[in-house]
Amino acid sequence: MKHYLFVLRKPAHSGIYLQETLDIILTTAAFDQKVGVLLLDDGVFYLKKGQHPEKSNMKDTATIFKALALYDVDDIYTERESLMDRGLNAADLCLSVQVIDRKDIANLMTQFNIIISG
Amino acid sequence: MKYAIQINASPYHSSAGQTAYQFINAALALGHEIFRVFFYHDGILHAFKHATPPDDELQLTQRWTELAKHHQIDLVVCISAAQRRGLLCLDEAQRQGKQEDDLAEGFRISGLGQWVEATLIADRLITFG
Amino acid sequence: MVLMVDSRQLETTDQGFLVKTAEWNEAVAVQLAALNQITLTEAHWEIILFMRHYYLQFKHLPNARVFTKAIAKEFGEEKGNSRYLHRLFPEGPLKYTCKLAGLPKPPTCL
Repeated sequence: MKHYLFVLRKPAHSGIYLQETLDIILTTAAFDQKVGVLLLDDGVFYLKKGQHPEKSNMKDTATIFKALALYDVDDIYTERESLMDRGLNAADLCLSVQVIDRKDIANLMTQFNIIISG
Repeated sequence: MKYAIQINASPYHSSAGQTAYQFINAALALGHEIFRVFFYHDGILHAFKHATPPDDELQLTQRWTELAKHHQIDLVVCISAAQRRGLLCLDEAQRQGKQEDDLAEGFRISGLGQWVEATLIADRLITFG
Repeated sequence: MVLMVDSRQLETTDQGFLVKTAEWNEAVAVQLAALNQITLTEAHWEIILFMRHYYLQFKHLPNARVFTKAIAKEFGEEKGNSRYLHRLFPEGPLKYTCKLAGLPKPPTCL
C-alpha cells in the first residue's frame, strides 16, 4: 500500500477537471490505498458552503466530496493561509477539514509516498 | 529507476506533453525504465489518429507512436476521459455507427485501474500538465 | 425513445436510460427489468435501491471499481465483488443497476 496525497488548487467550477480528479481519487481509494486530499489556494472554494451550481447547469461537485468518507478517505486538509487570503474560515466549508498552517504543509507532504498536483 | 508518467494537457494548449516526451527520451537514454504513460484529462487529445497539424509543427502523436514501437512503451488512454471527448473505444465507436476507432497506433484505451497499478509498481510518478 | 409505465410516457435515451431521474418509481424499474430480460429478486432490489440513494445523496456516478467498493462497504465483501454482481446483472452490473434505478449512464472507466 502507498500513501497518496492529491493537492487540489484550481477554482471550483472551471471545467470538468475536478470531476475527473475526484474519479481518480475515488478509484485509488477503491483499490485500498491510503488517500489524503489537500485543498490549497483557490482549491478551498471546492467546499464553500451555499453553492448552487445546478442553477448554471454545472455538477454539484461539493456534494461528491461527501462520498469520500464512504471509501475511507477521511483525511481532507486545507491550508489556513489559503482560507484567510480568501476571507474564509473552516466554518465556511461544507465538510469538516483539518486546517494546517502553511509552515507545516511541507511536513504533511513528507507523510505521503505520492503527491499528485491538480 | 522505474517511472510512471501522467500527461494531463492537450498538445495544443500547453507544451507539457512535449516536455514529457523529452523527459522520457532522456530517462531512457540514461537507462531508466518507463513503466507506463497514462493520458488523462485533456491529455487524451495526444492519441487522436487523424490529428493533422501543419507539416512545420511537431507531429507529436506520430512521435508517441514511434516511441511506443521502438521502446515498447505502454501508452494508456483513460477510457472515461477519452469517451467524454469523443475518442471512442472500438465497441462504442461501432455502436455509434463508425467503422473503426480514432486511436493512433501504439496507444490503448483502458481504465483508471491502470493508473493506480502504474503508481504502485513505479518508483516515481511524474505528472505533466 | 419513450417508455410507457402505468399510462405515463417516460422519455429515455437511445440506450434506454431514463432522461429524468425524478420520474422513476419501482414500477419503472420492473418495466425496465423486463425490457432487459432481468428477473428482479430481493438481491437486485437491494443493489438498485442502494445505488439510487447513493446517487441522490452524492450526485456521483462511480466507475465499475468504485461501484463495487461502495457495495462492499454497504453490504460486505460477499456482495461487493464482481462475481456476485455479475450473477445479478450479467450484461454489466454498474450499467444495468444505474439503468434500472433510473439514473444516468455511468462512465465506462475500468
